[in-house]
Amino acid sequence: MRGLQKRFGIGDAENFVLNGIDLTIKKGEFIAIMGPSGCGKTTLLNIIGLLDRSFLGEYELDGRSVDTISKHKQARIRSKQIGFIFQDFNLVPRLNVVENVALPLVYKGVPRTKRLMIASDVLRSFHLNEREYYKPYQLSGGQVQRVAIARALVNEPSIILADEPTGSLDSRASHIIMEELSELHKRGNTIIMVTHNPNLTTYASRIISMLDGKIDTDTKPTIIRKPPVSKRHKKLNRRKKYVYKMKRKKK
Amino acid sequence: MRFLLLSHIQNAYQSLRNNRARSALTMLGVTIGVASMTAILALSGGASRIISNQIDSLGGNIVIVRPGTLMKSVDNITQPQPSRDYAASSITELDIKAIENTPHVKLVAPIMILRGTIRADSVAPLSSPILATTPELANISNLKVHDGQFLDDNIDQNTAVVGKQLSINIFGTETSIGRTFTIKGQPYVVVGVLERINNPINYNSIDFDNLAIINFSAGKKMNQNVAQIQQLNIKADAYTNLNQAAKAIDKTLAKNHGGEKDYSVLTGDQISQPTSQLFYTITGVTTAIATISLVIGGIGIMNIMLVTVAERTREIGIRKSLGASNNDISWQFLIESLGISICGGIAGYIVGYIVAFSVGEYLTFSPVFNWQIALSALAISIIMGTLFGLYPSLRAAHKDPIESLNRHN
Repeated sequence: MRGLQKRFGIGDAENFVLNGIDLTIKKGEFIAIMGPSGCGKTTLLNIIGLLDRSFLGEYELDGRSVDTISKHKQARIRSKQIGFIFQDFNLVPRLNVVENVALPLVYKGVPRTKRLMIASDVLRSFHLNEREYYKPYQLSGGQVQRVAIARALVNEPSIILADEPTGSLDSRASHIIMEELSELHKRGNTIIMVTHNPNLTTYASRIISMLDGKIDTDTKPTIIRKPPVSKRHKKLNRRKKYVYKMKRKKK
Repeated sequence: MRFLLLSHIQNAYQSLRNNRARSALTMLGVTIGVASMTAILALSGGASRIISNQIDSLGGNIVIVRPGTLMKSVDNITQPQPSRDYAASSITELDIKAIENTPHVKLVAPIMILRGTIRADSVAPLSSPILATTPELANISNLKVHDGQFLDDNIDQNTAVVGKQLSINIFGTETSIGRTFTIKGQPYVVVGVLERINNPINYNSIDFDNLAIINFSAGKKMNQNVAQIQQLNIKADAYTNLNQAAKAIDKTLAKNHGGEKDYSVLTGDQISQPTSQLFYTITGVTTAIATISLVIGGIGIMNIMLVTVAERTREIGIRKSLGASNNDISWQFLIESLGISICGGIAGYIVGYIVAFSVGEYLTFSPVFNWQIALSALAISIIMGTLFGLYPSLRAAHKDPIESLNRHN
């Protein structure tokens, strides 16, 4: 995957959720995207995952411009190369756990028995095989999250897009998930993860922080480090300190 | 092309099972439509087959001449012909003589139906017809005598053959040979009792179980010496000569009638046509009802499918994000609607036959089974499923995945 450059607006021209993003993601990177709510992280992820087509600018996937790929072909790419882990899990409520996990395999044309077996294998690696025939609403938040991740991995995608994969988990459970993701990363998969939690960026090989539809910083941590603080934040912090000082002076 | 049909079918089955009550109610609409259609086709098929079977059982070797011209079947429905009992028939005894001498004609029998009170120990029901004919009828229409003999040329004028049921009605017994009954006060001696046919619908339009057959000349005498001929039954010398015979008869009659076409010469299917006139009318009306119920059933499918699509918007988004193309999504919903309509259609086919057979219990004929009915029931349900499922499924396919995913319901 190379040459990822895009700039686009959504809705009326005034409102650019993403405003001029130039980005190249290499194969095998583990990218963490950070930033405040509404800065366009999820939108960016959707575009990378070929879900969102209504954008301006250019997006090349594997050296091919996405515009030249037909809708049908894009669906095939999603089916074969991309795994989604959604912010709110997005399991199909009327299907049980193993069927949910097997869902991506349906569109790869895997026969029913075989795809349920594969799904069951993946679930076993997530220690969920006793819950196979539960419906999603019968599971706890952490279990649902793991099911969602298992589903993203079942078709062995080369690109995994995770939108806050640990959003509803406690820190211990989050780290288990993150270990799993970094394991995948070591196997050569590209992982793009959106997160709010600065602690989790330690697993990433590259951290992108976004602000108002733009890329603010793009760093490659070599050691475990503090969460990156943007220039604007620094400025705000300085102002806060100043105001605080002035107040004390008045007293 | 990936082969996803099977998984679509599995998926549709699962989703229809999850909403059992809803699916069943939607199917009911299709079921009623297909059932009424199946019942109509089976019964009307049975009715027209019964008459063509009779003709076939006579070797198909029969020509019928009736007074008046045959109308088109549409006119038959919109302008039903009144019974012409009171009008003078355009066919005369002269015609019988002429036809007898026509090439390829073997036998001719006139049919003259009279009304009158049949009385012996008790009075026969008013509907019992009196048939005046010649001995040839037994051969042409294949009438079998249960007891005694049929009329013949040498027998006394005041003798009669009676139907089995009539014999029971007026004498209280099936064996009534030699006993006397009266028609319009005139005494007749029974020389034969017919075998029970149990088939009031036939090309002669006579109930052979309930009638008294008298000699043609005796009948004429009863009718002020006028031969009121309703029909001529003619047998050709061979089945292969049937059409030639019909043409020759037509020519002969045209000569006799001075070129006026006030008669019709009928063979094969034409014979059953006026008899099944009533069935045409009933079939027309019920077909209209069936069509309406099919359309309403189809709208039901469309309605339910739109609800299903709306309900599963999020699922559509998920499926798309997991690699389903627009085609996959539209097939998923189309197959679901096809599932409803085909299941409904099969149920309707079965229910239709149950209805047809239970109605057939009260009729003198039974419904027919043939592959055309099964095929048309299946075809109608497939067409319905496709027609009314297409719009919802296309709507589902063209949903934007992001919007669908953000829909919380």
